[in-house]
Amino acid sequence: MKAVKIIACLLLASIQLSAVAQVTPERLLNAEDEPENWLLYGGDYDSHRHSDLTQINKSNVDQLELKWVWQNRARDGASEKFEATPLVVDGVMYTVGAPNNVVAIDPVSGRLFWQYSYTPLPEARLCCGRVNRGLAIHGNDLFMGTIDGKLLKLDARNGEPVWLVDVADPELGYALTLAPLIIGDKVIVGPAGGEYGIRGFIAAYDVESGEQLWKFNTVPGPGEPGFESWEDPEQEAWKIGGGSIWQTGSYDPELNLTYWGVGNPGPDWNGDSRPGDNLYTESVVALNPDTGEIVWHYQFTPHDEMDYDATQAAVLVDMEWQGEERKVILWANRNGVFYVIDRESGEFLLGEPFVSVNWLSGFDENGRPIRALYPTEEGTFIMPNNQGATNWYPPSYSPVTELFYMPAWLDTFSVYTKRPVEYTPGQQYVGAFPTMAMPALGVNPVNQRLPEEGLGAILAINPQTGEVVWRHMMTNVTDSGVLSTGSNLVFAGGREGHFYGLDAETGKELWKASLGGQIANGPMSYAIDGKQYVAIAAGAGLFVFGLPE
Amino acid sequence: MNRFFRSVLGLIPCTLLAFSGAVFAQEHSYAPSDIENGRGLFQANCLGCHGDNGDQVEGADLSSGRFRRASTDEELIRLIREGIPNTLMIPKTNLSYGDTRAIVAFLRSLPTGGALVADNRDVRIGDASRGESLFFSEQTQCSACHGVNGGGNLLSPDLANIGATRTPGSLEDSMLDPAKEVRAGQRFYQVTDMSGNRTEGLLLNQDTHSLQLLNGEEKLAAFQKSELDSHGFIPSPMPSYLDVLSPAEVADLVAYMLSLKGDQ
Repeated sequence: MKAVKIIACLLLASIQLSAVAQVTPERLLNAEDEPENWLLYGGDYDSHRHSDLTQINKSNVDQLELKWVWQNRARDGASEKFEATPLVVDGVMYTVGAPNNVVAIDPVSGRLFWQYSYTPLPEARLCCGRVNRGLAIHGNDLFMGTIDGKLLKLDARNGEPVWLVDVADPELGYALTLAPLIIGDKVIVGPAGGEYGIRGFIAAYDVESGEQLWKFNTVPGPGEPGFESWEDPEQEAWKIGGGSIWQTGSYDPELNLTYWGVGNPGPDWNGDSRPGDNLYTESVVALNPDTGEIVWHYQFTPHDEMDYDATQAAVLVDMEWQGEERKVILWANRNGVFYVIDRESGEFLLGEPFVSVNWLSGFDENGRPIRALYPTEEGTFIMPNNQGATNWYPPSYSPVTELFYMPAWLDTFSVYTKRPVEYTPGQQYVGAFPTMAMPALGVNPVNQRLPEEGLGAILAINPQTGEVVWRHMMTNVTDSGVLSTGSNLVFAGGREGHFYGLDAETGKELWKASLGGQIANGPMSYAIDGKQYVAIAAGAGLFVFGLPE
Repeated sequence: MNRFFRSVLGLIPCTLLAFSGAVFAQEHSYAPSDIENGRGLFQANCLGCHGDNGDQVEGADLSSGRFRRASTDEELIRLIREGIPNTLMIPKTNLSYGDTRAIVAFLRSLPTGGALVADNRDVRIGDASRGESLFFSEQTQCSACHGVNGGGNLLSPDLANIGATRTPGSLEDSMLDPAKEVRAGQRFYQVTDMSGNRTEGLLLNQDTHSLQLLNGEEKLAAFQKSELDSHGFIPSPMPSYLDVLSPAEVADLVAYMLSLKGDQ
C-alpha cells in the first residue's frame, strides 16, 4: 500500500512538473547562465552567439568527430538551403528544415522525437529560396514563421499545432523567414518580401491567444514619424516601399528596447519613384517592446539603390568607448561598413569599412554617409556587390577576446543599371538586376573564378577601432554564421562546405571537416550530461560534432 | 521518273521534318514590346540565379538557346511558372502567363540564341565557307586545338555550338585579343611542387585547400595547396591572330564560327 502511495505521488509530481512552463521569460533573460542550452536564436538577447562551454578547446579541437547527421526531407521532397540555428532546451534539440519542416531531435543520438511538416500555400513567393532561420520557445510552445506569411504555435512536447495566425498576405509577396523573438509574453516577427513591393512592419503577438498586440510600420504612413522622408509628390511610394524584416532582433531588458534591422526600400535598384531617405528602410530601429513605439533609429544607407538590406543581427555589447562606459550595438552591414552605435541614444560612434567600398566617401558630423556613387542608365561600378559584403549571416562577439567575428565577401562588385520599373501586385518590384561575378544565391559545384572576382573570409574585428585583426581566407564566399566559445575557439564555414575550428585570437585553422554542402546558417554549441557538442547544417543535413568517448 | 527526281522527292519528308522541328521550337514571332518587357522581367526574376550571361546554373545554360526540359514555347512557359521540383528553380507563381510569355520572347529573341548582354558592335562578317577552310588550314592551325564535334584536344573548347552562344564581337575579340576575356572554364593554371616540378593545365575546380586540373597530358590531376610551393592562374595558350590574319580573314572566321550552332 505504501508503494502504491509513493508511485501515485511520483505520478502526480510528474504531471505537475509537465504543467509547469518549461522556458519562462526569466530563463530567456538569463540565457547566458545556461551554456548547456541554446534558448534563443542568437544564443542570448545580446545576439552574441558565444558559448561559455570550454570542454572543446584549442588542445583537443583537432580530435572532434562526427556524432550524428540528420538529413532534412520535407514532405514535398524539397532539399533547399538550411538556414536555421537549432534551439537546445533541457535535453531536446528543435530545428527547422526547408521549407517549414519542424523536428524535435535527441541531441545525443540524432534520432527524432517528432516531426511536423507544415505545408505552405502554393501562393508563397520568395525572392531567394524557401528558407527558414529558426524557432522561438516560450513555456512549452514553439513558434515558427511560415513562408506563406503565417505565425504557427506548436506544442514542443508532441509537435501538435496549437494555433496558426495570418501575419500578412503571401500573394502580395509577404513571407516569414526569420526566427521569432520572444520578449515576456509576446512573440515578435516581421515579414520578408522587399523584392515584392511590400510595406514592411514589426508586430508583436500574444503568446497565448495569437492576438496582435502592436504593429510598427517600418515604412511610415501619413501622420507617422519618418513619413516626411518619402518625398514623391504623389505620396504613393510608401505604400509599396519595402522595409522587410528577415533577421531576428535583439533586446536590452535594462533599457527595455528591442533592436531590429530593416531591409531595402522598393523598388530595389531604381529609386526615382521614391525620392527622399526612405525611412526606416536600411536602418536599425529601437522599439519599446511593450508598445511598439519607436525610440530612435539610425539609417545606414539613406535612399538605397543597391539592395544593401540592413537585416543583420544587432550585437549588443557594454564596453568602454573613449574612456566612458557605453552600451553599444556592433553592426557589420551588408554595405561593407562596420558600425558602433550607442544603443541608448542611437548616436553614431564609428563607421569603418571592412572590405573595399566605393559607394560612400566618408561620414558627415552626424554620422550620415556621404554618397559617392549612384546607379545610372549607363551602369555604375559599385563595391560591394549586390549581395553585399556580409548579409543576414549572424556574427559573434566574444567577451573573452572582446573581438567581433563575422563572415565577409571580400572586394566584390556589381554594375548597377537603372531601368524603368512598375509595380504589379504580387510581382517582383525591383528594377534591373545588377551584374555580379559571384553567384548571388546558387552554388555552382565548381569554382573557376579569378581572385579579383571575390573571395570569402571570416574576419575578427576590434570594436574599438573597426580594424580587422585577422582574416581566415576562403576561395569561395560564405553564407555561414559564426560561433565563438569560452575556450577561445571560433567556428564557421562557407559555401565550399568546409566547417572550421579557428583560434579566436589569431584565426589559425585548428580543425576542419568537409561536409559536402554549402553552410548557410549559424553554428551553435550545447552540452548533454557534461559533454559538449557543436552543431552546423550543410546542404540539407544537420551535422553534430563532439570529442571521442 | 528519273533517278535524280526520285532522290529529290525522297529528301522532301526529311526536309519538312527538319523545318517543322525548327518551327516547333520557336512557334511564335514576338512584338518588340514583348521582347523588351521580357528583358526587364528576366532581369528582375531570373538573373539573380541564372546570372548575367545566363550560364550561372550548372546544366541550365540559358545562353545556349537550348533547354533540356522544354522545347516549345508553351513548355518553357509552363516550366518557368511551375518550376522544377527538388531544385532551386521555384515556381514563379507571381508571373502571369503574359509575363512569362514575354520572358520566353526575350530568350528567343537573342540574336544567336544566346548572349544575354547585347553586343551591338559593328563587326564585319565574311564568308563562312572561306572561314571553314581557314579554320582547318596550316596557316591558322585552329583545328590543332579546337574540335568541331570532335577533333582538337580536351584542353581547348569544342566549337560545335559556339555560334549559338557567342556574339560576333566576342568571337572577334577571342581571335584578336584572347586575353581580353578568358571565361570561367577556359582558364589555365600552373602549380609548382616543393621539388620544383611544374604542372600546367585547365582549371576544373578549386577550393581553399585543393585544386583539380586537366593537365597537359589530358589527365585529371588533383593537388593539395599545402603541398605546393606556388600556384596561380597563367595566360591562356590561345594566341592572338592580330598580326597573322587579315581583317577579311578574321571576318571569314567569324562567319564560320557563327554558322556552328550544334544540332539545333
